[in-house]
Amino acid sequence: MSVESHQLHLLTGAYAVDALTGAELDEFERHLKRCASCTEEVRGLQETAARLGLTTAVEPPAWMRGQVLAAVSRTRQLPPSGGRLLARGTPRRVTRLRRSLPRSAAAVALAAVIVVLAVLQVNTRNQLEQTQQGSRAVAAVLSAPDAHLETSSTTVGGTVTAVISARDREAVITTADMPTPAAAKVYQLWVMGVSGARSIGLMSGNSTGVTSPVLAADVQPGDRLGITVEPAGGTKQPTTAPIVVLAAND
Amino acid sequence: MCCMNSPSTGSQGQQPVDPGRAQEHGQVLAGLLAQVARGDHAAFEAVYDQLAASVFGVVRKVLRDPAQSEEVAQEVMLDVWRSASRFDSSRGSAVAWVMTIAHRRAVDRVRSENASAAREQKVAVDQVSGDDVFELVDTALDRQRVRRCMGSLTTLQAESIKLAYYQGYTYPQVAGLLGVALGTVKTRIRDGLIRMRDCLGVT
Repeated sequence: MSVESHQLHLLTGAYAVDALTGAELDEFERHLKRCASCTEEVRGLQETAARLGLTTAVEPPAWMRGQVLAAVSRTRQLPPSGGRLLARGTPRRVTRLRRSLPRSAAAVALAAVIVVLAVLQVNTRNQLEQTQQGSRAVAAVLSAPDAHLETSSTTVGGTVTAVISARDREAVITTADMPTPAAAKVYQLWVMGVSGARSIGLMSGNSTGVTSPVLAADVQPGDRLGITVEPAGGTKQPTTAPIVVLAAND
Repeated sequence: MCCMNSPSTGSQGQQPVDPGRAQEHGQVLAGLLAQVARGDHAAFEAVYDQLAASVFGVVRKVLRDPAQSEEVAQEVMLDVWRSASRFDSSRGSAVAWVMTIAHRRAVDRVRSENASAAREQKVAVDQVSGDDVFELVDTALDRQRVRRCMGSLTTLQAESIKLAYYQGYTYPQVAGLLGVALGTVKTRIRDGLIRMRDCLGVT
């Protein structure tokens, strides 16, 4: 055993109680893959650590059970892994359920938005500035602490995704894989509330079926987001049934 | 009042301590996890009922804050559902697998918020108010045994393990708190855990 791997071996205990971080953790986990004796020792020490944990048992609040079972019923399970050595634990830096899950979803949406912005042709300086202002507003919604994601497929194909901040009463809407509207037709986005539909604008895109993100402001609780197919140029009020409706704020 | 310390739960209460029973219990859990991996909701409910208190307990011990603990404990149980197919009984017990997930989740949460002073404040407040939570009778014997084994360690070993496991500190933080060299803490945690393992008869 080399001096280096001997030093690493001494980390089995710290690893078993999750006291390793950063580069040292990564290095130790790499070492574990090729050190059978370390793996065996870690196993025994993790069993021991678990016994320390079991002594702290406290009944959780009763409502938690229903909440977990409800979450389970809408959560897809991971497929079996190929038997990797370290597959015992779950991925170490999984996103948080309630607080960051929307945020990480928003991060995915943000990445998509950036791609869209890059793909769409921006010709003039004026357009560029407008786009930058727009993307700042979009980014503000995506990074709102309460941002959550709603997604739905449309009746004509493709999907619509909205990132919504109830706090800021704003939503960012993007689409993917929607067919190009028929000649002289456009997709128009609406915020639909108790007092009727308000046009947010046309979903302009390119030939790839991706539309640029549209920011909807002043979205009130109970409002719905809807897209209709309208004559070129858009209309003041929807004239056809929506191809998709999303709940904006619960 | 001679018998105040004896367990009031009868032989059932000794289940976790009796190695044969504990092993049997572990096999049942492992079997349940295999069913969970196939999407069996009823099996998941059984796993929840058996382990939720242990999961919530360790998460709460590390995090202290009740609301955060509830949130993280739910994430852990959901993780158990999601990744049940990754559990491999040849690599360890079902309980250890779940408790490892729980502890990791808890320390990950602590570390992601380490910079904020809020937690320090919460810990201080919590310590003043005291740990008055109801502790399960079922774990009384386990606790006694762990405490006894912990008592057989050197002070430095026991302190290092407690600070790392129950408080969620990294080993450099433990070294700083105890005023000893990094290498010393590293070996004390390992030596102490090995001694605990042997004392508890963990196989």
